[in-house]
Amino acid sequence: MLSTPRRLRRSITLALGAGLPIALATVLTACAPGSSGGSSGGSSSSAGTTNVNSKAVTITVEEASIDVPLFQKFASLFHAKYPKITVKVIGQDFNTLQLNVPRILAGSNVPDIIRLGALGNTVADKLVISLNPYAASYGWNSWPQSQFESTRSNAAGTERGSGALYGVGPGFGLTGLYYNKSLLAKIGEKPPATLSQLSADLAKAKSKGILPMVISGPAQTLAFAVQNLQVDYANSVTPVQNWNYDKPGASIDIPSFVQAAKTLQTWAKDGYFESDVNSIQESNAVAEFDSGTGLFYVSGNWDAPAIDKAGPGKFAFIGFPPAKAGGVTDAMSASDLQVIPAKAANPAQAAAFLNFIQTDPAARQASLDMGGYAPGGPSNAAAVTAPAGSAVAGTVAFFNQALASNELTEFMVNATNSISATALVPETEELVSGKVTPDQFASTIQSDYKSELATR
Amino acid sequence: MTSSVTREPSIVASAAAPGTPARRRRTRRRRLTGWSVLLWVAPALAVYGAFVLYPLVETFEYSFYNWDGIGASSWAGFSNYARVFTQPALYTSIVNSFVLIIFFSLIPVCLGLLSAVLIREIRGQRAGGLVRTLLFLPQVIPLAGAGIAWTWMYSPNGVVNQLLGAVGLGAEQHAWLADFSTALPAVGIIGTWVTTGFCTVLLLVGIAKIDPSLYEAARIDGAGRWREFVAITLPDLRRELVVCVTVTVIAALASFDVVYIATQGGPGYQTMVPGLEIYQLTFLQQTVGQASALAVVLVILVLVLILPIQRLGRQR
Repeated sequence: MLSTPRRLRRSITLALGAGLPIALATVLTACAPGSSGGSSGGSSSSAGTTNVNSKAVTITVEEASIDVPLFQKFASLFHAKYPKITVKVIGQDFNTLQLNVPRILAGSNVPDIIRLGALGNTVADKLVISLNPYAASYGWNSWPQSQFESTRSNAAGTERGSGALYGVGPGFGLTGLYYNKSLLAKIGEKPPATLSQLSADLAKAKSKGILPMVISGPAQTLAFAVQNLQVDYANSVTPVQNWNYDKPGASIDIPSFVQAAKTLQTWAKDGYFESDVNSIQESNAVAEFDSGTGLFYVSGNWDAPAIDKAGPGKFAFIGFPPAKAGGVTDAMSASDLQVIPAKAANPAQAAAFLNFIQTDPAARQASLDMGGYAPGGPSNAAAVTAPAGSAVAGTVAFFNQALASNELTEFMVNATNSISATALVPETEELVSGKVTPDQFASTIQSDYKSELATR
Repeated sequence: MTSSVTREPSIVASAAAPGTPARRRRTRRRRLTGWSVLLWVAPALAVYGAFVLYPLVETFEYSFYNWDGIGASSWAGFSNYARVFTQPALYTSIVNSFVLIIFFSLIPVCLGLLSAVLIREIRGQRAGGLVRTLLFLPQVIPLAGAGIAWTWMYSPNGVVNQLLGAVGLGAEQHAWLADFSTALPAVGIIGTWVTTGFCTVLLLVGIAKIDPSLYEAARIDGAGRWREFVAITLPDLRRELVVCVTVTVIAALASFDVVYIATQGGPGYQTMVPGLEIYQLTFLQQTVGQASALAVVLVILVLVLILPIQRLGRQR
């Protein structure tokens, strides 16, 4: 007969030996993780209503910390116009917020509006509502439509660029080229109007001992440049837009993209970038450009207010020059994306707030002054102003031109949830270091893109 | 405690005849003793179960599904595991973590051993305490902070390059974290800096436990420093060495914070490690199943490496 402790041990062993596999098998086969989807949202009879002043409510808006002051400004302007609606703005670091968004939206304490980096899986998981009823009520459908393309999606969330509208914002991020006016004068040139002029300026700067271009792998600006170059060589935004919006059969393994990669690699080889292009962070890159290092700086309008502050009148912003004068320009832009969660308590009031921040003159001016965002909105909206000759004024001029001609394009880095982190950033770093050929670069980006889409 | 529990019944059994009232009383006491063991460990077991075993089982379960962490999931079979071994980005991260073992474990243990022996030599002097404190200091600095500080030091204008320039090695200056050939060793050195202090302090404690008379006897027998080290210090430090190697190998294989802060896996995929890959797969790519499969593979790898080391520590 076994002693008690040995019996106990044997029982535990038996339990583990027999029970654990049974438990595991049960767990694996009986209950698949995840729900079959959230509430469909936006289907209530009141969807689309603009009658929001009948009762006193408080709506909660969750933003990236950096934008909290801007949204607090919006909140006070909005409350002055809609006294019964109070807007409570809460914030957390942008990257942290993006990590938490799916869980916040699926949780029990859901805000009425939340800032997203990209739609990601939120449409597929039915975590956000369609804004179509509000677009009809507030007249958004008669505005220039390229501003809404990147936030339209099919119901399955697998294809963007068309379908229902899921997000809008107070303004747009927009990329281009900053230049240092005095360094450009030093090499005796004017702002480049074509890609060949830009290449010549880079070479001239290098020969005069000036750093030609501040650009960075980790800050994604190498990826911005390769997209700019691709649009130049294709003289069309269609291939990259199809790719960005995950259209069936879209491919970026095309001659214009290979050519773009080749040019970027040549620029790196010719010493136009810094030696730490693969480790320099965005904050350090902009600080370097502000300090007068570098003729050109590839980045977006979000840096413009700080650049103007660092050197008023010293810097300017232009769109990335086209291959030939009058050719297609890549106005790469993305909305400062605001969505209404499916579980939002006050979707109508939230939609009223979203309409207000796109149309109210004071709110639009605040978007530019405080956030650097170029406001979209209707074509006859009140124009925003910026000091003449400033970098901010350059961003507004370029954006308005692209908006009027409906030529805004989405970022390749937003094409899928993680194409930036898993492919575009590491592959552009390998490209400029000569670790991969332009052909290999294009085919790897495409295969990573396809395998990521396959996991949806 | 375990030994007293197992020994007692045999003593009792031999003293009392079967079936007597005394034996029944003692048997009841033995049973109480047995179940009371469970009672005593129950709180710890509950916490362990809830925060270690349950997540472990859940991770194992998720690894067989395609799931974004929120919506509906679908059965994936072993496809997530197949990808771990066929996708270059995934298996490269595992290879990188093995390289990091050299920097997180091998070098720190050797340096720790050397430092501990040297500090023992200057025991009692104020310098010994100072050296011990300095070496242990990196342990109390949050790794994220250490990562930021080292990133500055490694920058083209940072301290490392300035020092090289100052001693006439300007030609060796690099953008350490941006260069494909130096990024992984540069990250590894941050790990060495962090774990050397831990190894030193642990080994110092071990050395302090060694009977000084052993060293005296060895000296009387004419043993030199090296002989003392090989014949006394090293064998008596076996348990501490096993702990050092175990903790630091796990730190290398499961590294995340230093890499995340310093390089985010770049340049290219040069410093990608499984911890960072799992983070990206979960939070950026929202492929929880794939991330779980990599996590399970990582756990198995850690166990495969650690269990033989543990066995080594138990041998006498």
